Amino acid sequence: MEFKDYYAALGVSESATPEDIKKAYRKLARKYHPDVSKEANADEKFKDVGEAYEVLKDPEKRAEYDQIRKYGGREGQFEPPPGWRSSSGFGGGGYTEADARHFSDFFESIFGSGGASRHGGFGFRPQGPMRGEDVHARLALFLEEAYNGCEKQVTFTVHDPVDHSRLKARAKTLKVKIPAGMRDGQHIRLKGQGSPGVNGGEPGDLFIEVELAPHPLFTVEGRDIVVTVPVSPWEAALGATVTVPTLGGRVNLKLPKGASTGRKLRLKGKGMPGKHPGDQMVVLQVVMPQQHSEQAEALYRQLAELEGTFNPRSKLGV
Amino acid sequence: MNQDERTVTVVLGDTQTTFTLRELCERGDIHAEFVIKLVSYGVISPLNEGEEREWLFDLPALTRLQKAQRLQRDLKLNLPGLAMSLELLDDVQSLRREVDRLNRLLQQLMGEQ
Repeated sequence: MEFKDYYAALGVSESATPEDIKKAYRKLARKYHPDVSKEANADEKFKDVGEAYEVLKDPEKRAEYDQIRKYGGREGQFEPPPGWRSSSGFGGGGYTEADARHFSDFFESIFGSGGASRHGGFGFRPQGPMRGEDVHARLALFLEEAYNGCEKQVTFTVHDPVDHSRLKARAKTLKVKIPAGMRDGQHIRLKGQGSPGVNGGEPGDLFIEVELAPHPLFTVEGRDIVVTVPVSPWEAALGATVTVPTLGGRVNLKLPKGASTGRKLRLKGKGMPGKHPGDQMVVLQVVMPQQHSEQAEALYRQLAELEGTFNPRSKLGV
Repeated sequence: MNQDERTVTVVLGDTQTTFTLRELCERGDIHAEFVIKLVSYGVISPLNEGEEREWLFDLPALTRLQKAQRLQRDLKLNLPGLAMSLELLDDVQSLRREVDRLNRLLQQLMGEQ
């Protein structure tokens, strides 16, 4: 099993005072809290920090840990000394800062698995049935998948009861059929797919929060889809019918005469599907060809003479 | 951790679920008093007005409540601090989304030049 350096986890030295340790923990707990942090492995870091604090804040456990640390587990693999027994135990005080059920094997090998979790009440578990814990997971979808609906595999961690005081983590995989029209941040509940219940209690639920991956062409605003469509100066000036992409395939769009960059056109019902489907907003962008032929330049000169009174910078007061 | 090979196909049918105050409390091992206080601070709102025992909450309210509970437990926040943190986290999230959206829009506009 891997040795865990609790001092490194909190970024403090071996000689840190209890006050330094508390300060470091509070700062890192705020930084890595999974509900606050956007870092990919925030969850893991938060658990490491919580576990480190659980040990280092308690003088007795800290002394035991220091002893273990000296014993030779500073790096790499770790096995507790033969006949090791923790004197601190977990019968009485229980855990105060973190959820004991999620501590590492390393922690358990040193301090045992008294496992008195405050939240689930496993330390004082009654004989009666107890509901399994709810599990939260995130699911990233491509916009096309959210638009069309899809079937996705979701892997998450549930906790099975092992005996009266311990829970064991297990990866569970489900294939989930996602309906069309899911939006970013939307929640789904899958009843009974969380952690199993105890003593015949019903299982918890699985909650999935949908995240939409950025799309190179389309952006999403509520139920509407926004796409920027480049048009030529003559299409913008004269009006034209252009083909534009939508998530449901190409459609033809009639441009009005004299359209400028930034002009928005609405394709009704071409946004995210649902009871009240959204629209697709087309934002026009007038673009110039990279190069002009001599003939085209001559035509532009002619245009400049004809439209000489037009000042595109009138709003700037120049 | 053992990998569970079992794969089950689930068809969604209950995105419109609601929970009573009692169900909300049982689910999260939360005191009703905490929920009532969060409602009074405007952190979550029931779908309906009226007596507390008749309150119904939607799924986002439940997940927000669980988030509030985790934050309070892990960071030792008091209620006003909790309410403010949740609001600020919401703001940060919507600003992040807006910045991402605008960045992509900008890239599209610049990329075509």
